[in-house]
Amino acid sequence: MAQSPEQVVDQVAQLDAARKLVLGDAALYPQIVNGILPIVGANARLELRRWGAEFLAETFASPILATSQKQQLAPTVLNSIQETLLLPETDNAVLASLIQTCASMYPLIFRHTVNHPGDNKTWEMMSAVKQEILRKMDSFPCSVKICCIKFLQRVVQVQTPGLIADPRRPDQNETSLAVVPRNHALLSLPQLEAESSGLLDRLLDVLQEETCNPLIVNATLNCLAPLIRTRQSIANKIIQSIMDFFPTKHVHPPFTPTVRVGVKSMERTARALLFNVMKKNPGHPLMGKMQHYIERLMQSRLETAEDASRKRGPPAEPTDGLDQTKRARLDAVAPPPLKIPPLPAGPTSYDQLFTLTQDIGLSSFDVKQLPPDIVVKIAIPLLSQVNPALLTQAVDAIRNRYETITKEQNHKRQQLHQAATAAAADDDDDYEPDYEPEDIGDNGPGEAAAIAQEEAELEPDLVSLGPFVLPQPPPLSEEEASEVGRSAVSRVFGMIDAVDAASSSSSTQTKPQQLGFARLAGSTFDREAWVVLLTRLATRAPAGLEIDDKVKAGSAGVKRHSTISDSIRETLYRYILEDFRARLKIGITWLNEEWYNDRVRMKAANQERTDADDEPTVTLYYDTWVLRLLDGFLPYLDSKDIKILVRFLSEIPEVTIAIIQRVAGLARDPERITLTVQALMYLVMFRPPAREMCLNAMEDVYQTYEESRPAAGKVLAKWRPQALPAPAEQASTNDSSNPTQPAPSTEAQAST
Amino acid sequence: MASYDPRVNTNSTTPQNPPPPPPPPESAPSDMTAPTDGAETPNTTTAAGVVAATTTPNNTNDEQTDSWKLKFCTVCASNNNRSMEAHLRLATAPTAFPVISFGTGSLVRLPGPSITQPNVYSFNTTSYNQMYEELEEKDARLYRHNGILNMLDRNRNLKWGPERFQDWIPGQPRLEHISKGDKGAQGTEGGVVDVIITCEERCWDAVVDDLMNKGNQLNRPVHVFNVDIKDNHEEALVGGRAILDLANRLNESAMAQRKTHGSAGWENGSGAARLSFDESVPEILAEWQEKHPNLPALWTLAWL
Repeated sequence: MAQSPEQVVDQVAQLDAARKLVLGDAALYPQIVNGILPIVGANARLELRRWGAEFLAETFASPILATSQKQQLAPTVLNSIQETLLLPETDNAVLASLIQTCASMYPLIFRHTVNHPGDNKTWEMMSAVKQEILRKMDSFPCSVKICCIKFLQRVVQVQTPGLIADPRRPDQNETSLAVVPRNHALLSLPQLEAESSGLLDRLLDVLQEETCNPLIVNATLNCLAPLIRTRQSIANKIIQSIMDFFPTKHVHPPFTPTVRVGVKSMERTARALLFNVMKKNPGHPLMGKMQHYIERLMQSRLETAEDASRKRGPPAEPTDGLDQTKRARLDAVAPPPLKIPPLPAGPTSYDQLFTLTQDIGLSSFDVKQLPPDIVVKIAIPLLSQVNPALLTQAVDAIRNRYETITKEQNHKRQQLHQAATAAAADDDDDYEPDYEPEDIGDNGPGEAAAIAQEEAELEPDLVSLGPFVLPQPPPLSEEEASEVGRSAVSRVFGMIDAVDAASSSSSTQTKPQQLGFARLAGSTFDREAWVVLLTRLATRAPAGLEIDDKVKAGSAGVKRHSTISDSIRETLYRYILEDFRARLKIGITWLNEEWYNDRVRMKAANQERTDADDEPTVTLYYDTWVLRLLDGFLPYLDSKDIKILVRFLSEIPEVTIAIIQRVAGLARDPERITLTVQALMYLVMFRPPAREMCLNAMEDVYQTYEESRPAAGKVLAKWRPQALPAPAEQASTNDSSNPTQPAPSTEAQAST
Repeated sequence: MASYDPRVNTNSTTPQNPPPPPPPPESAPSDMTAPTDGAETPNTTTAAGVVAATTTPNNTNDEQTDSWKLKFCTVCASNNNRSMEAHLRLATAPTAFPVISFGTGSLVRLPGPSITQPNVYSFNTTSYNQMYEELEEKDARLYRHNGILNMLDRNRNLKWGPERFQDWIPGQPRLEHISKGDKGAQGTEGGVVDVIITCEERCWDAVVDDLMNKGNQLNRPVHVFNVDIKDNHEEALVGGRAILDLANRLNESAMAQRKTHGSAGWENGSGAARLSFDESVPEILAEWQEKHPNLPALWTLAWL
């Protein structure tokens, strides 16, 4: 028999009317509750179940329904709740209300069981419901879960010993473990206590979780106050775990507005809870710690300043111009203007300069007589009470005096100068106005004495210091200089790494900004710019100097300068080798710079050559370093690194025989033969100037290493078919080429 | 599921009717048997009702949730200016929220002739009307000029008198407030609320603290917000509007949850995890705060 919607609406209206009745007269509750249970039970329609669950929650929470009556109703209602829960119930609103009801009911059933040790059915039902809730708690949606938290709190509160207000009247005491007789048939004290201890841990676990949900945390914090207040045995444990809780630790960027709301709410709730505890119990042993925690909590806030600025400022105009009481008192009573005594005539001492009072006793008092700690004790409270307006006035007064004195002194000093320069017109060039006395010293004793006297009069002269000249630092020794140079270089390397780290995250954004040919070296302050700076520092910085020095002082100068740039080169070399796959690009940039530098210097040397007798001696760095770098990373190349090798070989400015030899040397390793052949083939195809060189090397490889023949043969067949022996000859060439095998290796070792 | 809603709403002439006027408490005893009689008849239908419910849960469900709203409580220091402005806004909004209001101060303080001579009244026992008449007699010109009489006049049309939050017993029925005709009392007869909104941080602290002191006896969650409003008439107006905005946002979310979970929850409760109303509160507040940056807000979930 299906209910039509109208019927349900009617029913809800009737139920509402019944509710109004009980709200008006609590005596009707038993009748109404028993009446509605069948209507709103487990199998009723959703709106009826919702209504019923809400009504039951209200009933068992109601302050107007006597506890004894609630206790009588509880078992029946519990039965209905259990049925609904086991259905299983899935509507959040119903679940939330039912769990609220259970939380209200738990102490009632517990008390009922204490008084009726024989009624094991009710207690078993309650236990079953409790287990059901605890089991499903973590899978419930948040709005239900918070009700479970409250239920947990209730269970903990009941199953922890509380205060026995009056042992003679057990019924008057609060329901807790303390009212359970030791020999109770159903309730085992140790078991209940153990359970509640475990549940308390579960309750407090929320405060330790890695990421926290503000809703759950607040729900927990807000229900802890009664436990702390009424359950001495667990109070300290709870307080301790609150004091270990810092909301900012549990959130992770980005700090969205929602996260901020959550963090702030948890901070304020934790603070409110501890304030509540401290207010209730001013002599609490953990008082100091709690205060400290609250301070730390406020300090660790994400947004301390933000809120202050948010509050609306005072309105631009008084809200009610006519209303005296509402007008803001913007300027309080101005303090009376300070009386500034004029300075006594003649030269002024510091003492006089800073004395504003006219009280003889005060101004002659020697503060030094007081011990410092007393001065501090007096000064700090005084400072806090100083009227800011008065202070400003006083400071202004002193400033005026000071400026007047400075002016006067400058004036006098200028006059003095003029006199002195006139007198010492024949002094040497190194005349330094700052050292008048010395300058003037040899101008005759009479004048000197007069000046000395004037100096003495102008004692506060110190107040107006002349221009300050920093003394020359001691000259750096050569080692120190190169040490400083090295440290500067290492800092530039540091910059590359720093930019590396920073740009790796934002690399996607910077890419579109690449300037291509239009770019200037070092214009963008990114990693590239630092690399260019470094390579040029290594190659170009000393370039001109070397030649100059050579012309001037011979090879000694060259040596000195080359140490700095060589150390940069050395560092660059190591830097690249540290991670050559990623940093080979830097190497290529560097080698290009070296090559260019070599050319420039060769050209310059040619021009310098005035007498045709000597060859220009230019150390060619490119050849040295390209080989070192190649030797540095070749051993680490594996067969899959073809791209790296090809890139290097194709982008370095000049390929030499030595380079090709080393590449060919790779073929010694059977695994890397393909690498060699492919690299050489690439050069043959795309680097015509090096083609002959490479083909020679290829031929060599072909001859020497049998494993290379299939691959190398193909290349040779295309580019140098004449090198391929007739098929019959192959065997003999193979044998004859064997002795040449170790040759490349020795060469490679020698060159490193 | 959403496709059901418009259909229901278009042909629903009934939903306007459902919330029946509450029976006056005086007539209650005579009606006493009626609900129990009503309870007998459906008793027999419930067994078959399960089947019916699974097939047509939506029609009546919507009708019921339509009348369902969040219940609010506004709180300021004296339950006169800011909380009452918000009370007015919430109670007279198109959605007409159930709303009650309180003050957290020890006494009701209204501005007097000077800052040191406030007019002081006690909570719960003085009506707005009394205050109005007394002040009008004292210095009608002054109190009219500073807006106090105006405010009290508004208040006395809203409810009987200022109530102190600390004296409130959650769950205590408030039927007499309905019979007195308090605005916004409809729906608050159970003496509980879902949301408390304070107008000053001091009040928020007092409310959270007092709820802890009350011992969370009801096991019922309540969201406690603070919306910082300066205590003057202009700011109270601005703040009242903002509070209504917040209330609407919260209520929309809560209603949406009730609807989706109502029908979807019945068929498959372990369906896609949706953000429940309670969970979405920080988000709602953050959004609201962005729109009202000058009213710093605060929130927690406490227990009645």
